[in-house]
Amino acid sequence: MADLKPIVLGGADERDLTKLAEYEAIGGYTTLAKARRALPQAIVEELLTSGLRGRGGAFFATGRKWSFIPKPDQNPNPHYLVVNADESEPGSFKDHEILARVPHRFIEGCLITAHAVEARHIFVYVRGEYLGPFEVLRDALEEIRERTDILGDATIIVHRGAGAYICGEETALLESLEGKRGQPRSKPPFPAISGLYASPTVVNNVETLATVPPILQMGGEKYAQLGVENSTGTRVVSLSGNLERGGNYEVAHGITLRELIYDVGGGIPGGRQLKAVIPGGSSTVILAADEIDVSYDYDSLAQVGTAMGSAGVIAIDDRCCMVQLGIRVSEFYEHESCGKCTPCREGTRWMTQMLRKLEAGEATETELDLLLDVCDRINGKCLCPLGETAAMAVASYVDKFRAEFIAHLEGGCPFGSDSPLDAVLAPVAQHTHSPVAVVPA
Amino acid sequence: MSSLHEEIQGVRAQYPDPASATLPALRLAQERYGWLSPEVFREVAEALEETPAFCMSVASFYDMFHLKPVGRHLVEVCTNVSCALRGAQQVLEAFEEELNVKAGETSEDGFATVRTVECLGGCGWATIVALDHRYRMNVQPGDVSAIVEELQANG
Amino acid sequence: MSAGVSAPELVKLRIDGVEVEVPRGTGLVETAAVAGLEIPVFCYEPRLGPPIGACRMCLVEVEGIPKLQAGCTLTAQPDMVVRTAAASAKAAEGQDATLEFILVNHPLDCPVCDKGGECPLQDLTFRWGPGQTRMTFPKRTFDKPIPISPTIALDRERCILCYRCTRFSENVAEDGQLVAANRGAMSLITTFEDEPYCAPFSGNVIELCPVGALTSTQYRFQGRPWEIQNVPSICGLCPVGCNISATTREGKVRRILSRNHPEVDQGWLCDKGRFTYPHLYATDRIHEPLERVRRRGLGELSWNDALDRAEDLLRGAGGRVVTALSGSETLEQAYGLGKLLRQGLGAHSAVLPEATSDALDAFRAPLSAIARAEHVVVIGDERVADRAPIVDLWIRQARRNGARVDNVFEPRLDEELERRVRDSDRVILVWSGRAGGGGARLAELAHRLGLEGKDGSAAFHLPATPNGRGVAAAWAASADGEEKNPEPINLLIVSGDEAAADPAVRALAEQAEKVLAITMFQGLAVGWADLVLPGTSYLERDGTFVNLEGRIQRLRRTVIPPAPDELAWIARLAERFAVGLSPHSSVVFAELSGLLYGEELSYDDLGERAPLPPRSAFEPPQPAPTAPIPPLTTPPEEHFLGNLRLQRFRPLFSGPAVERVPELQFQRPPAEVELASEDAERRRIATGDTVSVRSNGSALALRASVRKDIPPGVARVAQEHAGDLGAAVEVARMSNPSSPEGRGTA
Repeated sequence: MADLKPIVLGGADERDLTKLAEYEAIGGYTTLAKARRALPQAIVEELLTSGLRGRGGAFFATGRKWSFIPKPDQNPNPHYLVVNADESEPGSFKDHEILARVPHRFIEGCLITAHAVEARHIFVYVRGEYLGPFEVLRDALEEIRERTDILGDATIIVHRGAGAYICGEETALLESLEGKRGQPRSKPPFPAISGLYASPTVVNNVETLATVPPILQMGGEKYAQLGVENSTGTRVVSLSGNLERGGNYEVAHGITLRELIYDVGGGIPGGRQLKAVIPGGSSTVILAADEIDVSYDYDSLAQVGTAMGSAGVIAIDDRCCMVQLGIRVSEFYEHESCGKCTPCREGTRWMTQMLRKLEAGEATETELDLLLDVCDRINGKCLCPLGETAAMAVASYVDKFRAEFIAHLEGGCPFGSDSPLDAVLAPVAQHTHSPVAVVPA
Repeated sequence: MSSLHEEIQGVRAQYPDPASATLPALRLAQERYGWLSPEVFREVAEALEETPAFCMSVASFYDMFHLKPVGRHLVEVCTNVSCALRGAQQVLEAFEEELNVKAGETSEDGFATVRTVECLGGCGWATIVALDHRYRMNVQPGDVSAIVEELQANG
Repeated sequence: MSAGVSAPELVKLRIDGVEVEVPRGTGLVETAAVAGLEIPVFCYEPRLGPPIGACRMCLVEVEGIPKLQAGCTLTAQPDMVVRTAAASAKAAEGQDATLEFILVNHPLDCPVCDKGGECPLQDLTFRWGPGQTRMTFPKRTFDKPIPISPTIALDRERCILCYRCTRFSENVAEDGQLVAANRGAMSLITTFEDEPYCAPFSGNVIELCPVGALTSTQYRFQGRPWEIQNVPSICGLCPVGCNISATTREGKVRRILSRNHPEVDQGWLCDKGRFTYPHLYATDRIHEPLERVRRRGLGELSWNDALDRAEDLLRGAGGRVVTALSGSETLEQAYGLGKLLRQGLGAHSAVLPEATSDALDAFRAPLSAIARAEHVVVIGDERVADRAPIVDLWIRQARRNGARVDNVFEPRLDEELERRVRDSDRVILVWSGRAGGGGARLAELAHRLGLEGKDGSAAFHLPATPNGRGVAAAWAASADGEEKNPEPINLLIVSGDEAAADPAVRALAEQAEKVLAITMFQGLAVGWADLVLPGTSYLERDGTFVNLEGRIQRLRRTVIPPAPDELAWIARLAERFAVGLSPHSSVVFAELSGLLYGEELSYDDLGERAPLPPRSAFEPPQPAPTAPIPPLTTPPEEHFLGNLRLQRFRPLFSGPAVERVPELQFQRPPAEVELASEDAERRRIATGDTVSVRSNGSALALRASVRKDIPPGVARVAQEHAGDLGAAVEVARMSNPSSPEGRGTA
C-alpha cells in the first residue's frame, strides 16, 4: 500500500494543487486539451476500457452511463453534466478531501466529461455544509475564469445545497437543482433521457470525475490493470470510528478490510477490541469482527452480503452497544427521509420507536421479530434506496448481534453509559423546524 | 450595495431556468436577515415570482434554513456514528454547559444557537463541530471552553 | 402530438393471466381496468400530471424485474407479464405493507369522519390490507381540524401525504397556495402562515383527497353515504355548464360534487359552483307570492290570487310589455314565457344583458380541445377565470402542454401575432370581454384567419350569462313577430335574480308603470316590484341549458322547491290567454327542439354526458357592425396625468346567490383598484397603498393592486366596489408607501 502512487490525490502531498500554477506545473489541463481534440466517442471508449465504476455508491460503469446519452437527432434538448458533490453518507468524507485538495483535477475531469457527453453546462451540486471545499472550488474556478483555453464554451455553476442527505440521490438532486423540495423521482425516465430540465443529463460523483484525467493520461488499459476484476483502479477510502488514524486514503481495490483497519488505519486505540465494521457508509450491511478478511471490492463484498457503498469504513470497538447503534442509524434515516413514499416515511420512524423500546428493556421477543418484519416490509417497496438501506442496515445489526438484542429483552442494556452511543442526541429528537407535529418518543 | 431583489435577479439570470434560483435566493435572504421570517418569505417570493407558500415549502425541507430566529453564532455538533464513537455527545454537552443553553435552542442573550446535526463529512477527524459553518476538527470536550472563549472574543 | 391522425399501435400483454390488448403507452392502471382487474391507487391521478409513484399502493410484479414496481408509473408494453396482488403473493404482501404503514399513524376516526363510507382508504384496507394493527406506540397527533379556509377543513392526522392536493394547487390550478412543509415523517400540508386557501378552485382538493383529511365544512356531519342521494345535473352559475351531482338528504341539497364530463370540465368544479348551493336556504328566500299594497308595503297572497293579479297586469298593459331576462332561465322557461307573452299578448320586446349569435357554430369544438392546442389567443379585458373559470384551467393545461398563450386586450391582432396564428396548427381563440356581439366579432376574426380549415382549431366566446344564447333562441322561436320597443313601458317583467340585481334593469323599472318580478330573494326587487312571484334555482328545475360550446345539457330537479316551478305557473297563465303550453319541461323541450333543430328531441337523446353537436357552415353574422369597435385603452395622445379609463368588472364571486353564502364571503373581491405597473409607478403607488379614485365629484378610497396583466391607461374595479364612479377616473396616492423598496407588483 505504501508503494501505491495515488492517482486521484496524486501530487497533492508534494504541492498545493489548489493553485492553478501548481497544477499546471505537473501537467494539469494538458489531458483536457488532448481530449478536446478527440471524438467524444473515443473518450467514452477509453472509460469503458478502464472499467471505472461510479464512486458515489452505485458503482455503475461510468463509460456505460455516458453512452446512454441520446444523439441530437434522437433528442434535441441540450445535454447537462451534473456533479453530485452532496456527500452526506455517514462515514464518508472522501469528496470533501478531493474537492479541498485537488479541485483543478476535479474541474479538468468535469470538462473532459462534458466534452465526452457533449454538454456545455456543468452544475456542481455541493452540499451546503461544505463551506470550506466550496470556497476552494470557487477560488479555483475564479483562477480559470479568463482561461478560454481551459473552459472552452463550457459554463460551470456551483450550486450549494442546504442540508438534506436525500439530495445525494441523483433524481432528488435534480429536483433540488431545479429549485424544489429534494424528493426523488420515479425511474424511468432515467436522467440520461430526461434529467435536469427534462433534458439528457449525466450525474457523476466527484471522485469519479477526478479520476477521469488520470485515466486518460495513463490510458484505460493501464488503469484496468490496477485493482481487481470488476473493481478496477484505486479509490479513496474514508476511515473513521474507533481507529488510530482516521482519514482518507487512496488504495487499490483488492486490499482487505483487515489491512485497511489495522495497517492503514492503525488499529483500535485504547487497547480495545474490534467488534464490528460498517464497510461502506451507514447504508451498508454491518460485518462482525470475524468477517474482515474480505477483499475490498464489489464482488467480494457482495458475496458476504454487503457492499462498498461510498467507501466509508467505520470501525466499532467492543464498548459500543449494537442496539444503540441501531437507534442512532435509524434516527438518521428517519430525519433524512424525504417523506414522499409511505414505507420509508412511516417505517423509519416506527423502526426507531421499536429500537428505543428494545434499548429500554421494555420489549418482548415478539417485538424484536416485529422489528425484523417491518424491516422486511420496507425493503423492496420504496421509491428510492434510502428507506431500503435503512431497513437492511438495522436488520443486519439484529442479524449479526442477535444475542445482544436478546440480552436487552431480559435485563435492559448491558452496556449502558459505557457505550459511546448511549443517549446520543440526534437531530430528529430535536425538532428544529416548525414543531407542529407532536411526535411521542 | 444592491438590494436583495437585485441580487436574486442576478442569480436567476445565471441559470438556464430561473426556477433553479430558489435555494441560492433563500440563502442570500438568510445571510442578510439571519433567519427566514414570513416577511422574508414574502420578499423572496416576489423576487422569484413564486408564492410565499412555495418558498416556505422549499425552505422547510432543508436543515440549513432557519424558520425561527437563531443566535448570532451557530454551533453545530455532529453526533452521527463516527463522531459519536469518539465522544461527540460529551462535546455537545460541554457546549451546552459553556453556553448555558440546551441543544436545539438559543441562549437567552441571543449569543448562540447550539444544535446537533447529522454527518458533516469529516468522520475521520471526529468530532466535527461547525462554528458558523466553518469546521473544527478533532474536537474533544476539553477543547470546548477555549472554543467558546474564541467565539465570545469575536463578538 | 403530431398534427396528422394515425391509429395508435395496439399491444398485447397479460395481467394476472388475462390477455388484454390496448394502445401502446396506455397506463397500466387503466389497462388492468380494461381486463376487469384492479390495481389500487392513492396518489395516482392522471389529471394531476405524470404519475409520481409515491404512495406505493399500486405495487405489482412484472416478469423479468426482481423488484416490485409501482404499477401506476408503468405503461402497456408488448408482451409484458404483470401480476397484481390478486395473483402474486409478493405483490399482495407489498400492498398489505403499504396499507399497514399508512395506518400506523392514521387515527381511528372513522366513526366521526365525513369520508367514512365513501373512503378509498377504508375500501382498500378491506380489500388489500391488514385486519389488525401491530402498532403499539402513541400515534403522532396534530391540532385538528384546522380550517384552511371557511369552506375547507384540514385534518393533518388523517392525511396520508399522497400529495394529490399539493399537486393540484401547483400543477392544475397553479395557485401555489397549498403546499407541503417540513420533511419525512414531520411533513404536513399547510397554507402560508395560516392564511386561508383563497383561490377559485380550492374546493377540488376535497374530492381529490382519498381520506378525510380535506373535507367540506359545509358538509360536515351532514350525512352518511348510505343516507344520501346523488342527483345528476348541470351547474347553472356560468356558461360552462359543469356536470355536477347534487347530494341530497331529507329533501335538501347538502353538497355539490363533480360528475366529470371529460370534454367540458374534466372533473373539476370552481368554488362558486361547488359551494353556492346554500343560497337555496337563504333567510330572505321568498316562498309565497307577494303584492304591493299601498301604504302597507308587501303582503302575501295565494297562488290563485297571484295568477289573477298577473293576468290583470298583463291584460292592462295593452301590449306595452318589456321582459328583462336574466339569461339563467332554462330553454323551456324562456320558451314558455315567450309563448305566453308573444303569442298571448303580442308583447315581443325582451332585453338580455348581452348580445347572442350563432356565428361561432362554425368553429365549434369541445373545451377539451384547448388542452391540445399549439397556440391559444385570449382576446378581451375580462379575466377568463371570472367569466368561465373552467376555461382558465383548460388554458393553463394547454400552456403546460407546451402551447403558446397570448393575451390581447384590443379586439384585433397585431401583424406579428396574426402571422404567428396563421403559421400555427391547432389554434384556439377565446373572447373574454365586452363588445363581442355574442361571438359574432370572434367568428369574423376566426373566419378571416382561416380557422375552419385548421385541424384542432376552434373559437370560444365567453358569455356573461349561463344560458343567454339558449334563452335568446328560445324566446325568438316562441313566436313570429317584430320586436317593438314600447314607449312608455306599462309593464316590466323582471325574470330572475340576476335581472333583478342589474342596475340597468332597475333603471328600466323606474320608467315602467308596473313591475312584475320573478325572483328568489327579498333583497332584490321586492322594494320596487308590484307583484313578486317566487323564483327557483337551477338546482330546482328540470330543463336544459346551452353552454358556451353550444352543447345542450340537461338540468334535473335535485330537490323540490318551496314554490312551484316557473313552467308550472307560466303554463297556467298561458291557458288564460289561450296559449297552449305544457307544464312538463320534457314536452316543452320536444316542441322547442323541433323548432330550433328541425327534429324533436327528448332528454334521453342528451344522455348523462351530453354530446356536442357538429359544426355548421360559416355564415357571416348579421348584421355587420356599422360602428367601429371602440378602443379598450385610452390612446396615448388623449392620455394625460391623472386620467384612467375605469373598467368595472364582474368578479367570479359576485351575484345574488354568492352573496347569500357566508362561507364564500372571504373569496369576494376586496375593495381594490387594479393598476398597470406603468401607471402605478408614475403615481408612485405600490401594491397595498390606499389610493383615492375620483370622478364627477364622486371619490372612493381603495387599496391599490399593481398588476402586470392589464394595459396602461386602465383602472379596474369590481362592480360592487365602484360606486358611482364615472367612465374616467383620477387615481392618486393617499398614504405613505407600504413597502420601502417601492416595488409592489402582484
